Amino acid sequence: MTQRQELAMDEVTLAPRTTAGPPDGGKYVYCIVRTDAPCEFGAIGMGGEGRRVYTVHHKDLAAVVSDTPIVIYDPTRENVLAHEFVNETVMREHTVIPMSFGTVFRSEDDVTELLRSTYQAFSDVLDKMRDKIEFGLKVLWDREQVVATLERTNEEIGRLKEEIENNAQSSTYFARVQLGRLVESALEEAGNAFVVDVHESLRPVAVASRSSKPIGDRMIMNAAFLVERSASELFDEKVRELSHRHEGLLTFKYTGPWPPYNFVNIKLKLERAD
Amino acid sequence: MGLLAKLLTFPVSGPVAGIRWSLEMVERTAREELTDDTAIKQELMELQLALESGDIDEAAYLARETELMLKLRDVRYWREQFGMGIAGGPVRVQRDEDDR
Repeated sequence: MTQRQELAMDEVTLAPRTTAGPPDGGKYVYCIVRTDAPCEFGAIGMGGEGRRVYTVHHKDLAAVVSDTPIVIYDPTRENVLAHEFVNETVMREHTVIPMSFGTVFRSEDDVTELLRSTYQAFSDVLDKMRDKIEFGLKVLWDREQVVATLERTNEEIGRLKEEIENNAQSSTYFARVQLGRLVESALEEAGNAFVVDVHESLRPVAVASRSSKPIGDRMIMNAAFLVERSASELFDEKVRELSHRHEGLLTFKYTGPWPPYNFVNIKLKLERAD
Repeated sequence: MGLLAKLLTFPVSGPVAGIRWSLEMVERTAREELTDDTAIKQELMELQLALESGDIDEAAYLARETELMLKLRDVRYWREQFGMGIAGGPVRVQRDEDDR
């Protein structure tokens, strides 16, 4: 039960939990790049103390790492942003394969072993992802505004609404239910049409796209787009065009460039090292 | 042993088996609840969206985030107890015998 007590003690501060091991002997891995020259990316590493970010090599591949105690990093916003900031910095000059958040190896040898044993898969994916970047696009709608627009543009809804407003009798109950149903299905249709429009507009300027589950009830689209670096301005332009076209109804949350988080899926054979 | 034979020879085995079965169900349900972080992660994403949209401020965000992190740690603890995989923490490449 000692572990459980340790957990309870941490609760006050949320300090990272350290497991036994040499202090700072571990390596936090951010991403994999192709280079045979040692690189330095500055004092921007995880852990809040500005640890040095540098490369560990095997043949022409390198892992971008910083020294770390053997800890489990909580996926707090601060930590995740720190992880992403390093990847953003590295990807200015390199094509990167991002590692998932929180990956810590016990030693440099373990990192080299990762590069050695996964060499072929890393090489293939680096070739495929060469000069490609990811953009995130979340689309939220203003439900009330969309409904208001539907009331103006959808004849049936407009007529029914007028009928209800002109007749405050209880007989309008069924009309109200019918109106509710009509609005719901028209909303669904409108939502789908928005999503189709966004995808159709961006398809010509993207290499690939991947949709995730929307977050919360205002989001109608949560997608990632893989874009050629050379086409990124064109992609920008298209997104701005879209946001202009649907102004007042849709909000576009546009982020990036990211490393291709959503387009790389290498299953690493890792096990816990205690 | 057929059900009929069971009924005839062990009149109490029915109820006992039933109790054991429902205890196993309770245990399995509890285990699934303790080791599933989907809902926590979902809330974390919604919370971040709320912060980015300006619906909540940094302080409110951090307060709730800390609570969610502790819940995630609890899930991690139980996953470890049940010998299940966890995200994060020290790892190494699996050393398969036939890999060498």
